[in-house]
Amino acid sequence: MNSPRLLFFLLVSLLTFAAGCSPQNPDAGNSGKNVLHLFNWNNYIAPETVARFEKSCKCDLSQDYYADNEEMLAKLAAGATGYDVIVPTGNAIDTLIRQGALRPLDKSLLPNFRNINPAYLDTTFDPGNIYSVPYAYTLSLLGFNKEKLEQLGLPTDTWAIIFEPKYLEKIRGRVTVLDSQRELMAAALKYLGYSVNDTDERHWQEAADLIVRAKPYWAAFSNTSYIKELAVGNLWVAHGYSNDMFQAALDAQKTGRKFTISYSTPKEGAVLAVDSMVLHKSGKRPDLAHQFINFMLDGKNSAELTNLIGSGNPNLDALQYIQPGIASNKAIFPDPELIARLEMLRDLDRKQRRLLSRLWTEIKLR
Amino acid sequence: MIKSEMKEKQLARLLVSAPPLLFLIVFFVAPSLIMILTSFRFPGEFGGLAPVTPPSDKAIGEYGFTSDAYQFFFSDFIYTEIFLKSFAVAFGTTLICLILAYPLAVLIARSRKHLRNLMVLLVILPFASNFLIRIYAWMIILGPESALSHFVNTVLAAFGIAPVTLLFSPFAVLVGMVYVHLPFMVLPLYTNLEKHDPSLLDAAQDLGANAWQRFWRVTWPLSLPGVFSGSALVFIPVLGMFAVPDILGGTGDILIGNLIKDQFLGTRDWPFGSALSIMLTLAVLSVAGLTTWFARSASGQRAT
Repeated sequence: MNSPRLLFFLLVSLLTFAAGCSPQNPDAGNSGKNVLHLFNWNNYIAPETVARFEKSCKCDLSQDYYADNEEMLAKLAAGATGYDVIVPTGNAIDTLIRQGALRPLDKSLLPNFRNINPAYLDTTFDPGNIYSVPYAYTLSLLGFNKEKLEQLGLPTDTWAIIFEPKYLEKIRGRVTVLDSQRELMAAALKYLGYSVNDTDERHWQEAADLIVRAKPYWAAFSNTSYIKELAVGNLWVAHGYSNDMFQAALDAQKTGRKFTISYSTPKEGAVLAVDSMVLHKSGKRPDLAHQFINFMLDGKNSAELTNLIGSGNPNLDALQYIQPGIASNKAIFPDPELIARLEMLRDLDRKQRRLLSRLWTEIKLR
Repeated sequence: MIKSEMKEKQLARLLVSAPPLLFLIVFFVAPSLIMILTSFRFPGEFGGLAPVTPPSDKAIGEYGFTSDAYQFFFSDFIYTEIFLKSFAVAFGTTLICLILAYPLAVLIARSRKHLRNLMVLLVILPFASNFLIRIYAWMIILGPESALSHFVNTVLAAFGIAPVTLLFSPFAVLVGMVYVHLPFMVLPLYTNLEKHDPSLLDAAQDLGANAWQRFWRVTWPLSLPGVFSGSALVFIPVLGMFAVPDILGGTGDILIGNLIKDQFLGTRDWPFGSALSIMLTLAVLSVAGLTTWFARSASGQRAT
């Protein structure tokens, strides 16, 4: 990447105090050893899986982390190189493919590829799965305090609970929604009966109006703190990711709270985010990378992640190793009827991004 | 002989001023220029920037330079509104910091020497733990189930006022801002107040000035340079802060820092983010300029 860009990014990092955001050079200090560089979501692989993989490949697995796709793309755009495997979500894969940043997979090195549920293959982002193999998925849904909502007689299977003032009145200040332009708009669009990828400006305005009307009842926009706040009882409803809700439910249970945290996918449908493993062109060890991908496609290894964080699992062979409580959870493994109403987010072009950003600023300021 | 002496002096001056000058060029002028250039380009399709020269293969998207980002800024009043709001928050934070810090700085400056050092150390001590952790701690302090919230709401209930939520509000943002920036106000004030000659106050007392007059006619005017530098140290960082409103703010507490961060990490719109940053830099420079001017005219007044 050219140096002005790097310099520019460094400045941005400085200005934004983003201490953890500096471009990495994962190669530094690791020369001469067998190292696989993985660029992964925070807490997105079980430690015991890492240990077993390192043993089997006689190599080290070095991980860098990101908290969302945009951050990952921004770091790559700023010149971060040397990652063998990345685990982006569908729309980011689309971007990476169109940028020509990915290396095609060699399926002959991935015998475990057949374990993947065909329902999660051959997506619009990567027809024929030339570049990507599904790793795990999450749903954007509603987590809630079960006892409290029962007591208040509120529904839990519809987006109406976070958008309709008649329900919100009873839970004012006890609700948070995701601090993400695309996710919140998607929820509003779904509630209005549109597609999450609808780009009609009038529909966007309608969704924004819905959000502005509901906003006074919300406590905050939150991307992570809702996990803790739900688990300690400060929040009663949160719009968030299924694996975070799993965490919140577990935390509430472990600390012996008098309530349970439950979560469900609204009947109007929701955003499905499938994270897939891809090979980055700048990676130096495609051999180890294929070895890693095949290892993660093994049912037992794949199940460990689901058992750890409650992520959805597209691996059919993994189901037998998943804890029964998780495997029977409809919010993590939705039934076919609901799957039909789930949608994956597609990337917006730059003009749409700017428009959405203005709408978002307006939402935030009102 | 005189000439060579002058030359030596010039050389010495150059040597002394070169490192800070170089620092400014590398870390301020160059990045600002890059940012100005960036703000006049098109955003790339995937984030980053569109090329300056026409793409060779197929004509995809725009290229070259444009004032799009600035036109977009002025196309809607909301961006100006956010600037005004951020200035109001920065001004409020500075004022509260000043009111809280001044008595503390006076107290420290008038304590005995060994106590003074201990107190300064205590002011600096919070820096030992990470800034984000301290802000997260405020989430607990201000949370709806916290002792503070219960206390405030009990008092309010006694007066028949409906309970309030402290966290996720403009109040929480202000508390966080003041908390983080208070030391930046205390330290310059203290260094200034410490240098005051106590005999001036004795003289004022001998001339019949009461406590208020002694403060207002002697201490306050002498401390103005400290007040201005402290204010600048608080005002400017608050203007760009995004973490505090992100963590403690509610649904309407967006500030200019959040907006800029969003352009880079959320919207992948570098030109617009750069344009916003430049406007902020200009705003900060004018505030710094005004402060220096005020400070100079204040010390000029004293001299006459």
